[in-house]
Amino acid sequence: MQALATAAEWFIGLFKAGGETFVGLVTGIIPLLVILMTFVNALITLIGPEKIDKVGEAAGREGLIYYPIRYMILPFLSVFFLTNPMAYTMGRFLPEKYKPAFYDSAVSYVHPPLGIFPHVNPGEYFVWGGIATGVEQAGYRVSDLAIRYLLIGLVVILIRGIVTERITAIMSKRSAASEQAAAS
Amino acid sequence: MKGINKLLERIGRGVGKVVGAMYQAGRDSVDQVIKNVLPFMAFISLIIGIILKTGVGDWIAKTLSPLAGSLLGLVVLSIIIAIPVLSPLLGPGAVIASIIGTLLGTQFATKAIPAQYALPALFAINPQVGCDFIPVGLALGEAEPETVEIGVPAVLFSRFVTGPLAVVLAYFASIGLYTK
Repeated sequence: MQALATAAEWFIGLFKAGGETFVGLVTGIIPLLVILMTFVNALITLIGPEKIDKVGEAAGREGLIYYPIRYMILPFLSVFFLTNPMAYTMGRFLPEKYKPAFYDSAVSYVHPPLGIFPHVNPGEYFVWGGIATGVEQAGYRVSDLAIRYLLIGLVVILIRGIVTERITAIMSKRSAASEQAAAS
Repeated sequence: MKGINKLLERIGRGVGKVVGAMYQAGRDSVDQVIKNVLPFMAFISLIIGIILKTGVGDWIAKTLSPLAGSLLGLVVLSIIIAIPVLSPLLGPGAVIASIIGTLLGTQFATKAIPAQYALPALFAINPQVGCDFIPVGLALGEAEPETVEIGVPAVLFSRFVTGPLAVVLAYFASIGLYTK
């Protein structure tokens, strides 16, 4: 009987610990999340997300200086204003050869801003939140990490865009060549 | 009189627009939190609770922490997650990334992993981001079927290179972060 009671206590203890964690998360994260999201969502509605269409049109041009526009500024604006998953619709302004690279770049930026702009992807908050909560519990200031995540994210998506654009170009050349070989 | 009326009307319209936008924004935010954030928090809390109480945490601390507490370990982790066959399977809903992140978070909390590895860890758990969603994402961008055919493998191969690269970059970018 005694053993059974101990076992039951241990079993309930599992969920008690989970419940305490849950309360911590709800009181620690949710209030800020709701208010911040309300502010940014209202701001986006008042500014009008269609304003970034012009950037999309400019980003498709050839030339070295358009790389940062296409794979840094456009993904950032798309993710900020349209959020996940509507951000990827901005690819429609780009030529076909840039679309995979733009998608790669934009989708890689739906997590780095989460520490400061959680409205971009609140459903996947814990990609950032898991590690951030741990760092906070260890007694460090999380905003240092949030800012670096946001900034390094921009560098990473630029690299990703360029690499994917190159790979896309190589692969489409190859598939065109094999199609020609099959035709002749 | 006419001028005043016009002014009042304009103010009324302006205020109405702003208040309406804010109210709608509030509704959207609360909806999002209830539908997407709270269920995930419940799920994450359950996992954390079980980890803390069953001693799985100690096991993780012994096996996973040495891996996650070094640059080489994080690069290896990112390479495994970025394998082109695995990455689309690990992508959906960012569930795997959230779980690994939370597991690592418990180790950061106890300082089993030093906090200066937090930034590279954020990139190491996430090289598969969006790999499950490439055809849909490209379709949202109105891509041709031929582009999708080439785009899917192009992104997957690219991740195999840029995933580990991002970890190394983040490692050097976190110099001076949480050193004390």
